Amino acid sequence: MNLFLDILTTASMLFIVTAGLMVIFGVMKIVNFAHGALLTLGAYASLVVTQLKLSPWAGVPLAIVVGVTVGMVIERLIVRPLYRRPLDAILATWGLGIVVGQLIVFAFGREVQFVEAPIKGAYSVAGTSYSAYRLVLVPVAILMGVALTGLLSGTRFGVKTRAVIMNEELASGLGINSARIRFLTFSLGAGLATAAGTLITPLSSVDPAMGLPWLISAFMLVMVSGYSMISLMITCIVFGACQVLASTYASPVLGGLTISVLAALTLRIRPKGFGRG
Amino acid sequence: MKALHSRVRILGLIAGAAVAAQVHAADPIKIGVAVGLSGANSTVAPAVVQSSQLAVEEINATGGILGRKIQLEIVDDASGAVGAQKAFDTLVFQKKVDAIIAMQTSAARNAALPIVARGKVPYIYTSFYEGRSCSPYMYVNAWVPEQQVAPVVNYFGSTLKARNFFLVGNDYAFGRGMLEFTKKFIEKNGGKVVGEEYLPIDGSDWTPVLSKVRAAAPDALISATAGGAPNVSLAKQLQASGLKLPYGNLAIDEATAKNMGDVASGMYMSASYLTTIDTPENQKFIRAMTKRFGAELKTPNELSEPQYEAFYLFKAAVEKVGSTDRAKVIKALGEVSFVGPRGEVRMNKSRHTPLSMRLAQIQPDSSIKILETFKEVDPGAQCPDLK
Repeated sequence: MNLFLDILTTASMLFIVTAGLMVIFGVMKIVNFAHGALLTLGAYASLVVTQLKLSPWAGVPLAIVVGVTVGMVIERLIVRPLYRRPLDAILATWGLGIVVGQLIVFAFGREVQFVEAPIKGAYSVAGTSYSAYRLVLVPVAILMGVALTGLLSGTRFGVKTRAVIMNEELASGLGINSARIRFLTFSLGAGLATAAGTLITPLSSVDPAMGLPWLISAFMLVMVSGYSMISLMITCIVFGACQVLASTYASPVLGGLTISVLAALTLRIRPKGFGRG
Repeated sequence: MKALHSRVRILGLIAGAAVAAQVHAADPIKIGVAVGLSGANSTVAPAVVQSSQLAVEEINATGGILGRKIQLEIVDDASGAVGAQKAFDTLVFQKKVDAIIAMQTSAARNAALPIVARGKVPYIYTSFYEGRSCSPYMYVNAWVPEQQVAPVVNYFGSTLKARNFFLVGNDYAFGRGMLEFTKKFIEKNGGKVVGEEYLPIDGSDWTPVLSKVRAAAPDALISATAGGAPNVSLAKQLQASGLKLPYGNLAIDEATAKNMGDVASGMYMSASYLTTIDTPENQKFIRAMTKRFGAELKTPNELSEPQYEAFYLFKAAVEKVGSTDRAKVIKALGEVSFVGPRGEVRMNKSRHTPLSMRLAQIQPDSSIKILETFKEVDPGAQCPDLK
């Protein structure tokens, strides 16, 4: 039972952290390496909320506002000129991540900070007590997944977005403003990244380098799952399960490697990942 | 003309000699302090500098050492090996210091030792570390694992009646080293280690580790993580997991514990120095620090307080031999003692120091309560080849 919960909550966490990167990668075909810095930014949004003594839940909307705003600026100034040069975009967003990290150090200092958790303690599930906050992440991840799927397949915006993903020239020919779609998508992705940053703070520390390990896992997951939300969910569950099983039955040191190793193997066997068949 | 010339020359010589004598009388004793003003140690370095300054000012205000003032030379070792080489080259060969008193990372210390040996300079290392670093020029007045682990294990074993221990750490030198020692110590004292798990140093998800702890159902948990982020995420996730068992943290300092708030509540720690030590010497030290630095004060801690004591130990050694003759001072450093905020300190156990260790528990209001003081905890034979 415990193992099952470990797998479920780990997969949820991976999904929450990866969704923002996925949205941007799916539409723009560029990997936003500033994703880690955006996660960190979201975590500092909840730090500000704690320092203002507001309810810890207020961190999420604040993080989304910050993320979307920062996302708009980044897209306009840095990413837009680089759409045709995805490798340069990786370099530019990576550099941007470093800049954002340093700005955070200037503003908040280098040390580890502490944030109020919205939910403390443990729930009793089928006889074992389990971290309440981790359990909350499961419905949050499901809700996020459903909302994003709905947005991409059930709305006008989603149709246009998918048109841009499939064939940008044709979409532009049909009068879809692809620059605007990209702008909105990037801002949405950035907002999701900062929201994820806030959501993981009750489980980890808040420091200027906290986003980096998450960025690596998120990057691997996106590479494997391709453009589809469903395949991202499945990948998160499969890889999350492997990670938990490796950590439990072998050692957590090996568990830390699981996602990278599996991603490498998957891409070796199936270079386009799961979602791009 | 010639006579006049030689008379002028003689006058000149006399004047010169007088000046030289005067210079010699006021010639200060130079003490070098190498500390990581930048890099990993930069969070603790300001406190180390402050306690060095206080020690020097106190000693100078009461007549210095053998009538000579101390001149402080502070250099940045950038918390690492490369920085330490530059810093020690500067101190030993350019500034020509009479002694070095330094709180450094292990990498910085190891890089510095060959330079210290070339200059044959007395060197007091004031940071706790993993142990077994030996040099004929070096003394250590902080704890080694033998001293820090014993109070936690002994308290858990005899007061809390814990038999089965679970050990958790980060996968790096300090984590592995500390827990390997802890395991041996537990087994030597009749306890049992029912599990031992490590997480990569950049890992932040302790869930599988905590699930294993739950499955093993130990009586107590002891951790040796990297400072900062991993330590915090473990404490948070442990608290959220609902596991209830005594938890001893080998990698926490007073300031971090206070910052962590209720996440750290109930946690046990072991330290040679805590601001709450209830002795006249410590109260005097805290008062002096507060008076000297006011609002700028960095709370004295386990890494900065030994620095203060080291200056007094050096003073005692120089006064004992009556000069700054390096070889004699080095020998005397192992014989002198100083009663400071931590109690009596004497670096007489193969260049290391028996220390009073405090087992403390962090209270719900973030204050740190000393539960038991273990007197003169022995560092063991750290350097059996050195006298």
